[in-house]
Amino acid sequence: MMNLSSPFFHKAMPTNKVMMLVCVALIPGIITQVYFFGFGVIINLILCAVFAVSAEYTILKLRTREPRTSIQDNSALLTGLLLAVALPPTLPFWMTFVGVWFAIIFGKQLYGGLGYNPFNPAMVGYVLLLISFPVEMTAWLPARELAVSLPSFYESSQLIFFAQTADGLTVENFRQLADGFTMATPLDHLKTETTLGRMNSEIFANPDMALNLNGWKWVNLMFLLGGLYLLAIKIVRWHIPVAYLLAMIITSFLLNTYDNQLYAAPSFHLLTGATMLGAFFIATDPVSASTTPKGRLIYGALIGFLIVIIRTFGGYPDAIAFAVLLLNIAVPTIDHYTKPVIYGHKKETELHD
Amino acid sequence: MSKSIVKSVSSKSIVEQAKGSFHGGIHPAEFKNISNQQSIKDLPIAAQLVIPVKQQLGQTGEVVVNLGDRISRGQLLVKATGILSANIHSPADGIVTSLSPAYVGHPSGMKSAAITIKTDLEQSEGKIFEPIDWRNPSNLEEIQSRIRQAGIVGLGGATFPTHVKTSSREINTLIVNAMECEPFITCDDRMLKDIPKQVIEGAQIVANLVKAKNIIFATEDNKQLSIEKLSEAISKTTESIPMSIVVAPTKYPSGGEKQTIELVTGKQVPSGKIPASMGLLVQNVATLHAVFNAVVKGQPLYQRLVTITGNLVDRPGNYWIAFGTQITDLIEHFNVDVNDCEKVIIGGPLMGQSVTDFTAPVTKATNCLIFNKADKTEKAWLTQTTEHQPCIRCGECEKVCPADLLPQQLLWYSQSDQWENLQQQGILDCIECGACAYVCPSEIPLVQYYRYGKSSLKDIQRKNVIAEKAKKRFDFKEMRIQREKAERAAKHKKAAEARRQAALDKKNDSDGKQQAINDALARVKQKKASVGQAQGVAQTETDEKKES
Repeated sequence: MMNLSSPFFHKAMPTNKVMMLVCVALIPGIITQVYFFGFGVIINLILCAVFAVSAEYTILKLRTREPRTSIQDNSALLTGLLLAVALPPTLPFWMTFVGVWFAIIFGKQLYGGLGYNPFNPAMVGYVLLLISFPVEMTAWLPARELAVSLPSFYESSQLIFFAQTADGLTVENFRQLADGFTMATPLDHLKTETTLGRMNSEIFANPDMALNLNGWKWVNLMFLLGGLYLLAIKIVRWHIPVAYLLAMIITSFLLNTYDNQLYAAPSFHLLTGATMLGAFFIATDPVSASTTPKGRLIYGALIGFLIVIIRTFGGYPDAIAFAVLLLNIAVPTIDHYTKPVIYGHKKETELHD
Repeated sequence: MSKSIVKSVSSKSIVEQAKGSFHGGIHPAEFKNISNQQSIKDLPIAAQLVIPVKQQLGQTGEVVVNLGDRISRGQLLVKATGILSANIHSPADGIVTSLSPAYVGHPSGMKSAAITIKTDLEQSEGKIFEPIDWRNPSNLEEIQSRIRQAGIVGLGGATFPTHVKTSSREINTLIVNAMECEPFITCDDRMLKDIPKQVIEGAQIVANLVKAKNIIFATEDNKQLSIEKLSEAISKTTESIPMSIVVAPTKYPSGGEKQTIELVTGKQVPSGKIPASMGLLVQNVATLHAVFNAVVKGQPLYQRLVTITGNLVDRPGNYWIAFGTQITDLIEHFNVDVNDCEKVIIGGPLMGQSVTDFTAPVTKATNCLIFNKADKTEKAWLTQTTEHQPCIRCGECEKVCPADLLPQQLLWYSQSDQWENLQQQGILDCIECGACAYVCPSEIPLVQYYRYGKSSLKDIQRKNVIAEKAKKRFDFKEMRIQREKAERAAKHKKAAEARRQAALDKKNDSDGKQQAINDALARVKQKKASVGQAQGVAQTETDEKKES
């Protein structure tokens, strides 16, 4: 079709390339995750990608839409990958399937597809899984230095598909440390220990905690690296990540200053859980985020604030999915009240200063 | 590079950097070198001219020539009707050969009223007016009416009748818009390079007319040579109204009137107000030159400087072209390979329009014609796919919008026909510059959606007005019916009353009469009875005789 009315000029990175570059920016974080948590991460990535694209294809066929163009925009792939890096590396494959299909079908396509979904699809899938399968969803392996042995690629696939290896080992066996205890994620561990009345100085003095934290720290730093790359190539704008991280720092700093034995320090919050993944890859999903410049700052800041609050006082150890979904609901309101002042609509005093 | 240009010229006091800046904007490839290297030339008058009867914003004028008329160059063809209208003059000596509608470049392919002229080989000068001594203050009214008579409209592309703008007498500053920010177009740039004195004089005439205290030429820093030529001409001139040049960084759309004003003054034009409310008048370079032609040379507006450019043109450059010259003639003159040229763009690649029927003529609005081969290696051109990708609300469009709008929200509401929200988001403040569509990663034809939204809103407003009127009419009709009914009822009541009264009267009246009749009858009866007794015997006898 020939374009007959202006503009005839165009210069922009196509949407499918934008999506692909976001996928690329995940790579350093993924490699670090594989290093610290084993090959289950890779298997999850492949499964999620396949499930996401197949879900997209199926639902588009059911909606009698042409699936090719939608699949080529790479958005389903990205949703799959984002969910994959948030899942424990040994999650049974059918749970992954449920999460991904739910994310694509209920989180995105039933609203009309890309661009029309009010919620972040990956987080919709994640929350469904977390609520439905809380045990499996919090069964993270200990980080490499802490683990007795990380499952091999073969063992990982057996755990994912058959729930146990050929030698009869289950996920629980791999989660056990040398002393026979199991190790939850640092966020989970902190929560449990705090509930038991332990002091922060005590909890963080535990060498196991320190080793585990180290793994999570590197994963977060590598997602930060990918995020900075997205900032540099101008796919992600600074408003949301900066507001998000600043709000987390300020909130946790205030709590920590109030009582440093009860509330964790900002450095802990920034470098554990999915903080950096959330800051640059999840909260920045433009479709479900606020779209005005001021609105993005408010949106990001409230997510950051809620993460610390939910992590500290809520029932679930990691809070990014809940914080993001809650703010997704608030987006229309935020957008409504943060419209920029249109040219010529400034108040008289501002116009003739 | 651009900064060094400003530095090198800013040593001269008349050149200064722009005070203000506007939000957003884009930096598309310029393509200006194709056509700005050659000096201005005349294009010979074509054998046939197709002159559209309407070439400006506002009302269509009245055709004042007839079929077969012999006309002279500069003769009035279309007379303005009403204030927002403009005269159209013949660009050539010749004969009117047709008055039937012709294709005049409307994107829909619709035909419009046009005057077709077969031109003579020999052409007269076409200077039909007496020159006016514009420096004489007693001639101001004459200048104003000359601008109107000469059919001058804004030649930057908007074609707003100039005499409406110059009727204000409360102008402080005349801003000469020489930004020319769209790619490819170089006619204003070239005019300032080749004939700066004439443009200056045109600016002085208008400034003098509107009582402006100073004149500011606003341009972009990519036009170094014309800035030099202009500042040289300004420094040599002896004209009374002080002039200066303001240079803005090259950025599209700095040539939009509102953006130019913000660049030059640092202030925004309040929404719904015109620049005159701030004591400003903005005129395009070519418009001021047309004023110079009309006032000093006595020549009406029947030709303009047009940029002929693109990779298919033999001798690209800027040419004086008579209105009505058809693109087919230009294709021939500039050796354009028609097979490579699927469309011609009139105007620039961001705000212009395309024609595929090459019989379309050059009009007052035609500042540039681009004959370009769709080159796959040239990434600047939009490769329109059949279906655009969905909007992901990335906000790139919002970053570049010079009107501080949220184009992504405008799209959302246009697509879903939410007119009230669309208006609240400020669609009517959109200047359709196309910067949003230029940067859209999903290649969404945003401006087309906004045009749809705007025209739908206009349609709704029009319908609302009609509905409002209809409601008033209906209410009035209802009221009238009620009133008439009441009146009729009253009338009937009155009539019935009258009838009853009459009947009663009649009855009373007839009672007396009846009495009289009865009395009379009784008397007759009595009489008859007495007579009958006497006659009765005789009668019986006669009857019996008849029977027998």
